[in-house]
This record gives sequence, structure tokens and C-alpha cells, in this order.
Amino acid sequence: MNELKTENLSCKRGENIVLNNINFSIKSGETLVVKGRNGSGKTTLLRILSNFITSYEGKVLFNDVGISDDNLYNSKFNLIGQKNSLKENLSIKKNLELWDILFNEALNHAKLLEHNNLYHLINKDVSSLSDGQKKCISLHRLNYNKCDMWFLDEPFVFLDEVNTNLLIEKINQFNENMGTVILTSNINLPKKFHKEINI
Amino acid sequence: MSNLIKRDLLLSFYSSANFFFTVSFFILILMLIPFAFGTQTEQLKVLFRGVVWIALALSIIITVDRIYNADYEDGNLDIIMQKNKTIEYLIISKYITHWFIYCLPLLVILPVLSFLFYLDYLETVQIFINLFIGSFGMVFIANFVSALTLGARRTIFLKAIIMIPLFVPFIIFGSDAGSWPILLALSMLSFVISIYVTAYGLRLYGE
Repeated sequence: MNELKTENLSCKRGENIVLNNINFSIKSGETLVVKGRNGSGKTTLLRILSNFITSYEGKVLFNDVGISDDNLYNSKFNLIGQKNSLKENLSIKKNLELWDILFNEALNHAKLLEHNNLYHLINKDVSSLSDGQKKCISLHRLNYNKCDMWFLDEPFVFLDEVNTNLLIEKINQFNENMGTVILTSNINLPKKFHKEINI
Repeated sequence: MSNLIKRDLLLSFYSSANFFFTVSFFILILMLIPFAFGTQTEQLKVLFRGVVWIALALSIIITVDRIYNADYEDGNLDIIMQKNKTIEYLIISKYITHWFIYCLPLLVILPVLSFLFYLDYLETVQIFINLFIGSFGMVFIANFVSALTLGARRTIFLKAIIMIPLFVPFIIFGSDAGSWPILLALSMLSFVISIYVTAYGLRLYGE
């Protein structure tokens, strides 16, 4: 059973205080929804949890060890940020090949993309896709890396109803397999998740 | 580390226009010499030694956006940073791929070009050795400039203004045959500075 928690987490960006005294704890199998207005620091929070931002006050603990002291922590999560990590001038197939090398794992893309009804687009250039389709391909990265946690930054933006439900189903399945999910969102989600905080 | 090298090489192969354009750019700049200064053999030989360095410097400047900036803008740098916990390995693999993709093709084409400029075998070897050693130093400089200017988009002029003065020592000693030990010292010095500054730039990126 893993536990990720923050104690009095505060973060300043220049003169602005972005996060002020954030406290939460989340265990394996749970999903935390982080809500807040634009610019309230949701992305900053996820980047702190992913060890990208290291100058903050307070503590972030994974199983009671500070995340910057844990050498293996970086392999325990999968972060899907707001950028799609796709090369616009290459086809989806070539992008997936590049990911396979970066993640050091060869996935069965045909089967996984067919699930989202995207496989027929595989030879198309990314620049010709809609934002929603790009987001779906970007979320396809969740299949890499059998890890303990998913950090999703605004995962539902641009997704249609079918894909939103597919993603929720995927999150539920991950929770059932004792995975932890932290996602940010400022829209009302069709399903209630375990925990919710407002920042 | 090897994964990142493999991925960068495959990426440049897929967008193969990248290094094809750099080589063409290099050749075209050298081709301007006879148009601008005439075709006297002795003059061409002297000019070639110097202009080859300017051509190399410009070819490196136009590729500087591809080192970290492209991956930063589309979000791939997040994955790269997460997968490579030791930031120094990440930086060294970027040095290797950047040199391999953009400098090696120029060195390969160099003997053909120097033949066209009436340089003999020995002179070509001297230029080749200087360029080989100096190009590493210039790649190290390009890498740290790229890492330090990550957040600033479309700033090729800013990068050029930072890089050109730093290239000056390489150009001064590079056009002088037999000064390869000084170039080697310069390259080693820029390696030491570059790896430290690049790591600083990349750590700032997370912030």
C-alpha cells in the first residue's frame, strides 16, 4: 500500500504565492481531483509532485520519504501534461516508435488504439489531427510503464463524451489494480471520484 | 542514455531534411567565396581556411533550436527528463547526437570541397583535424546556450548573439594550421563549462 501526501505545501513563483498550505494524502487505489480556477496552481502542484519543481516549502512524502530523496520515485509515476509530446510533422506511427524507444517498451499499439477507434489514423501526420484526437493519442502514453501513479493535467479537455467515458473507465480500472490517480480539472466531471480538493 | 541517442538519431532520420539542409547550407556558404572574391587559386586557398569556420559556426547556429527547444515546446522534454534521472548522461547523449547529426556530415563533405578549392592532401588533413576538434567545442557551447534559453521561444537571433562571440576563439585558432592543441584545450574547457551550465539550465526548466 503506497501513500503520497503533502504537508503544508507552499510555492512561490516570483512574487506570487501560487500554492498556500496544501495538505492532502492519497493511498493506493484512490483518485484525487484537484479543482481550482485558472492560474490557481494546479499544474504547479502536479509538477511539484513529479519532481520537476524542487523549490517549495513544506513536504511531499511518498511512503514517508521525501520525493527528492527517493531515487526510484521517478519510475513510479506517469505524467501526462498539457502538452501532447507529439512531433507535429511526423505521422502517429513514427511518433509512437519514438515513444517506444524513450519508454524502452514496445507496446501493441494496434490493439490499444483500436480501443479508442484511432488505429485507422496511424499513418496520418499529427498536424492534420483535431485537438481531441491529439489528446487521445497523448493519453495513450498511460499504457507505458507499469507504474503506481498517474498524474493527469486537464485530461478531459477536448475529449468528446465517448472518450471521456473511456478515460474514466480506464481510471477506475487502474484504481481497482491499486493505482493512484491525481488529476486536475476545472469542469464538472460526470462521475464522483474518491477525493477532491480545491486550491 | 543509449535510448535517448537512438531516439534522437531516429528522429533526425525521420525528419531527414534537417541534416540534408545543414549540409546544403554549408556548401552554399562556401560556394559564395569565388563569387565574392574571384577565382585566383592562391586567394581561394587562404579564404577557404577561414570561411569554412564561419560556415561551420552558422550551420551550428541554425540547428541550435533542435537540441532542447523542439522537445521543450512539444512536451517531450518532460519524458526525457523523467526517464534520465542522471542529468549528465542526458546532456552527454545530446552532445553525441548533435555532433553526429550536424557536424559529422560537414566533415565528411569537407575533403570534396577542399579539393574544389585547390587545397592539397596535407592542407586538407590539417583543416580536417582542426575542424574535427573545434566542432566539438562549438557543439558544447551550442548545447548550453540552447538549455539556458529554453523558455524563450523563437529567439534564434538572441542565441546567435550569445554564441558568435563564444565561437571567436575557435575561429581565430581554427584558421591557423597546426593549432589543434589549442583547439583541443578550448574544446575541453568548453566541455567543463558547458556540462555545468547545461545542467543548470535544464534544472531551471523544471521550475
